[in-house]
Amino acid sequence: MSFTPENLARAQSVIAQYPDAHSAILPLAHIAQDQDGWLTTEAMAEIADLVGTTPADVQGVCSFYTMYKRRPCGKLVVSVCTNVTCLVVGGPEILEHLNDRYAADDDVFVEEVECLAACGNAPAMQVNYEYHEHLVPEMAAAIVDDYKSGVLQPRGVSGGLK
Amino acid sequence: MGLAKGFGVTLRQMGKKKRVTVPYPEEKRAKPQRLHGRHVLNRYEDGMEKCIGCELCAGVCPAKCIYVRGGDNPPDNPVSPGERFGFTYEINYLRCIHCDLCVEACPTQAITETKLFEFSFANRQDAIYTKNELLVGDDGRAKRMPWEYWRGDEDDHTSAWMRATSSSGRSDYEGRVNWSGELGFGVRAPEDGQTVDSNIALAPTHATESHNGHNAKADH
Amino acid sequence: MTAVNEAKTTVTVTIDGKSIEARPGELLIKVAQDNGIYIPRFCWHERMKPVGMCRMCLVEVDGIRGFPPACTMPVSEAMVCHTDTDSVKAAQDGVLELLLINHPLDCPVCDRGGECPLQDTTLAFGPVESRFVEEKRHFEKPIAISDLVLLDRERCIQCARCTRFADEIAGDPLISFVDRGDHTQVLNFPDDPFSSYFSGNVVQICPVGALTAKPYRFKARPWDLATVETSCTTCAVHCRGAVQSSSNQIVRLLGVDSEPVNQGWLCDKGRFGYEHVHSAARVLTPRVGGREASWPQALDAAVAELKSAKNLHGGGAIAMIGGASGTNESAYAWARLTKGVIGTDNVDAQLGDGIAAEVVLGSDRAQISDLDNAAAIVLCAGDLKEELPVLFLRVKRAALELGVPLVDLSAAPHGLSKYVTHALGAAPGEQGLVAEQLASAIGGATPANETIAAATRSIGSREGNIVVILGRTSLAERDDTVVSAAAALGALPRVRFLSALRRSNVHGALEAGLAPGFLPGRVSLDSGRVHFTSNWGSVPAERGLGTEGILRACAEGKIHVLVLVGADPLADFPDRSLAKQALDTVGVVIAIDAFETPSNRRAKVFMPCTLWAEQGGTVTNLEGRVQRVSRKVSASGLALDDWRIASELAQRMGSDFDLETVDEITEEFSRVAPAWAGASTATIRNARDGVVLPFADHLGEVVFRRGGSSLDIEYSLSWEPIRADGDDVAVEASDVDETAEIDRTIATEDALTLFVWDRVVAPRSIPQRDAYALRVNVGRKLYDGGRIVAESPSLVGLKKAPTMLVSSADAARLGVLSGESVKATSSRGSITVELKAARGIAPGTASLGFSADGTGASELIDASVSVTDIRVETLR
Repeated sequence: MSFTPENLARAQSVIAQYPDAHSAILPLAHIAQDQDGWLTTEAMAEIADLVGTTPADVQGVCSFYTMYKRRPCGKLVVSVCTNVTCLVVGGPEILEHLNDRYAADDDVFVEEVECLAACGNAPAMQVNYEYHEHLVPEMAAAIVDDYKSGVLQPRGVSGGLK
Repeated sequence: MGLAKGFGVTLRQMGKKKRVTVPYPEEKRAKPQRLHGRHVLNRYEDGMEKCIGCELCAGVCPAKCIYVRGGDNPPDNPVSPGERFGFTYEINYLRCIHCDLCVEACPTQAITETKLFEFSFANRQDAIYTKNELLVGDDGRAKRMPWEYWRGDEDDHTSAWMRATSSSGRSDYEGRVNWSGELGFGVRAPEDGQTVDSNIALAPTHATESHNGHNAKADH
Repeated sequence: MTAVNEAKTTVTVTIDGKSIEARPGELLIKVAQDNGIYIPRFCWHERMKPVGMCRMCLVEVDGIRGFPPACTMPVSEAMVCHTDTDSVKAAQDGVLELLLINHPLDCPVCDRGGECPLQDTTLAFGPVESRFVEEKRHFEKPIAISDLVLLDRERCIQCARCTRFADEIAGDPLISFVDRGDHTQVLNFPDDPFSSYFSGNVVQICPVGALTAKPYRFKARPWDLATVETSCTTCAVHCRGAVQSSSNQIVRLLGVDSEPVNQGWLCDKGRFGYEHVHSAARVLTPRVGGREASWPQALDAAVAELKSAKNLHGGGAIAMIGGASGTNESAYAWARLTKGVIGTDNVDAQLGDGIAAEVVLGSDRAQISDLDNAAAIVLCAGDLKEELPVLFLRVKRAALELGVPLVDLSAAPHGLSKYVTHALGAAPGEQGLVAEQLASAIGGATPANETIAAATRSIGSREGNIVVILGRTSLAERDDTVVSAAAALGALPRVRFLSALRRSNVHGALEAGLAPGFLPGRVSLDSGRVHFTSNWGSVPAERGLGTEGILRACAEGKIHVLVLVGADPLADFPDRSLAKQALDTVGVVIAIDAFETPSNRRAKVFMPCTLWAEQGGTVTNLEGRVQRVSRKVSASGLALDDWRIASELAQRMGSDFDLETVDEITEEFSRVAPAWAGASTATIRNARDGVVLPFADHLGEVVFRRGGSSLDIEYSLSWEPIRADGDDVAVEASDVDETAEIDRTIATEDALTLFVWDRVVAPRSIPQRDAYALRVNVGRKLYDGGRIVAESPSLVGLKKAPTMLVSSADAARLGVLSGESVKATSSRGSITVELKAARGIAPGTASLGFSADGTGASELIDASVSVTDIRVETLR
């Protein structure tokens, strides 16, 4: 989808902040992802047009960062850490449990990530980049369910406040 | 002076029993196990051709007697596993010096040599063997052409199986069987002094020909 | 450079114990290479900026912790570097083992196998065995990233040579790294292929087999190939290349790094256009009256027509168009046949789509390398990216990297538009006017407007020459606008011209005298009359007609025999209806061509000629540089070289040239042609970068080859700049063949002077455009309907139907949506064409591609009027 008029205006004002329009690719990709829920190819092409480069260039930049989702990721991005500390205290079990539970749920996108820098309270996960620590599988699922049911208010899929 | 000296050798040997030459072709010697003779193009146990048309044999050939052109494997009916197969394969035996470098170069052990060297041609065209003649038959054995004189099991041991060591020569791999199975033979047994990895299923051992120096008589 | 700087121009570094003088800031890897120490590398390429991606060139430098990469390390005073210590070797081992982790071992079926830098480097510097036993990464293979280039992502070692080339050199960043870590891969954007005109270069510089060219994939193994050095003659830049064949079939053309010309790059049309040589559509047997005939029959039939026309109506009843597609030798032989034997001056190598020969031959010339240190580059030509792609690269580099101001007189947006410093915004047909304003401002007058003032200031602030790239700005305009621009700018002291005529060897053909009013060697008919009469026997009495005049005379029945030498006026002449009328009316057409074309379809006699790579000789590029082209494959069928056809015809006309070989023609050409004085076969053959003519003026620039005349390309080095070695010894006049001196004496005795254009231009007026019309700018496209594209299977699909670009204001005014088909009508005719609204088009103008196949724009253009105005109406 292309930018809505409000977002286009926001994009223009972001571009205006940089001496080189090329520098605006990352903030523009955030705006696009918050608007569409993920970073569509159309959005990347439009960003390229706005900053005066090729879509391939934008794709190269955006694909470097794992926080840009280049396929639909539902409303909730659940990032489960399985790096060393979480690994020894049950991170993989949480991942497996959530993966199984939400396998058919298009709203929830469970991903395995490297260290979230929350080793002190491992195992940890993020839901739309909001931290949740000291988890066990059932508890993690309950948190995700709370987000789904609206008990907890999620951030945007890019981590920005809605 | 030199002439007298030369005849001297002849005269001294005359009448001695211990002769080193044989009256070929009435009498023929057994061939050494690693003799380089006429080539064959091998197939895998499932009948797929081993040649992938890479032209390394043609590139390495010092006599420039090999002509190879690769082709794309038809996806529904592949000739060889993978992307490419040997579409054209020709060896000109008027040029071949049987140095075996093609066998060394072959990355898939597709080309190896039998021990056959007794073959002649009535014209130059016949001397150019194509894939038709070179490719082994459905029994995995060399196709025997009418103008070739085969003795016994000369195509039993084509020389691929002697390449048992890793190409880089690392000692860990020395003496280990390191080649793929062949139609009609399976995975060849190792040579004397070589060991077999336990994970390789060897073909049942077949009768190996005697190579202890006794003279095989010609059949006809 | 000032004396202060000169004191610090070198530093001394020690590499492996060897003391080396180098320029400060030069990269360590380059300094080492220039001094015979090879540091292994994958990502570093001499023509691109260093990036330090592959880590292969790790070295030790005293005083620096760890292993810095030599490709990003500038040398400094007293630097001590080691490239062969045990720890460096361990580092190299480690890097190679890492690179090989994900590299598949499919070398036997990889196109690079046998000439692969990764193979070679592993053998020379790598570890013996890999410790990696895990699964390698897998990708779908191969995927097409464009119509010409395939990508095997598994084989990629992420050196970024291709992405950097696309961005830095070609300016088309259509491929980039996607994802990261061990998932990193090169990709184009979905549905946006890597359709750069220069995409083939990434295949050549890829250090593994990740990028392969569709036309070459699996065609041959490197050890099958036989190579000769040659020049590409697809356009007039004449990039150096190495043509390679296997089993008498051309399979590949590699770019050779010639510093003054192409710096290693080729465009895709040149790189893959060799396919047309082996086209099944080639005519390989002579034809008389449409039936196949023997050569003697064809030659006799042609001579009978020529003789009868000459006897009945005089030599002027015969005309020749073409001769620009062959070698200089062929052009000379045809010039001698037409002007010396047949006695007609109705000869033109251009097809009404260039600029007057007087301007090209008689103006002060620049060389391509002059672009790099010019005061400014003035663009007064068509779209260089479409017409002369490698010249586009040179201009882009000069503007972007070397900071040369680019002054643009173009009326339509083009490939260089985004690099232009001063766009003077000339309207179609008014480049001459704007050029006059610019010239007078540079000459000291008050600038006509602010942009001209800014351009004048920036030119004035720089040293060096002003290089004017001069070509036909639009096929919909007569060349007089360009000619008047040339006249205005040519009057300035610092101006040099770089001709942007695009057709193959057109500059060689013009120098050989294939233009009305000229004789070989840049002399006019009148001043060369005595000299050439003594050499040839006779020359035409008076100046003849150019292509437009010839076609008009044909249409009026004044010309009875029209000889087409590799020319297709119906496709290439801008005014199709005039060309059609001419060809319908003219009595006899004699065609020398490799293909049947609409123009030669009803030729009385058709004689098949050889093509590029089937014929040897010399060619002259747009800067006047003469280089050798070589024969690589034998002539197809019964085709003969053009020069041999000319020489056989001459003999049958009763005049024996006594020229048996190409070299003999080169010798005769340089003996009789004043501009060629001193350039012998041997000098041209041995000059590394060819010779720029006139030879005497450029003696100091000639660099002779080291080690003979042929380029010994080691195929394993095709990924690095391929260079012919040369001794950079300036040649003194006394070193050159003594014949040079003698020739110049002859020239003086006959009072021959090289032609100088007097810059006299007839006053012209541009008709007023009415408010409803659009003034159209017509330019060539790289992939047009011409023979090379049409007969090359890999290129033919790249041709796009021409679209008409208008400003969005005009599209709105016309009530037409972008992408809709419209009817465009001029005073000449009308066509249906797709219309698109585009940025950068001035309101009131339109831009249209020339399709070069006799359809489209050429139906609209009237060669007799100076600009073309069209009305556009919707088809709804």
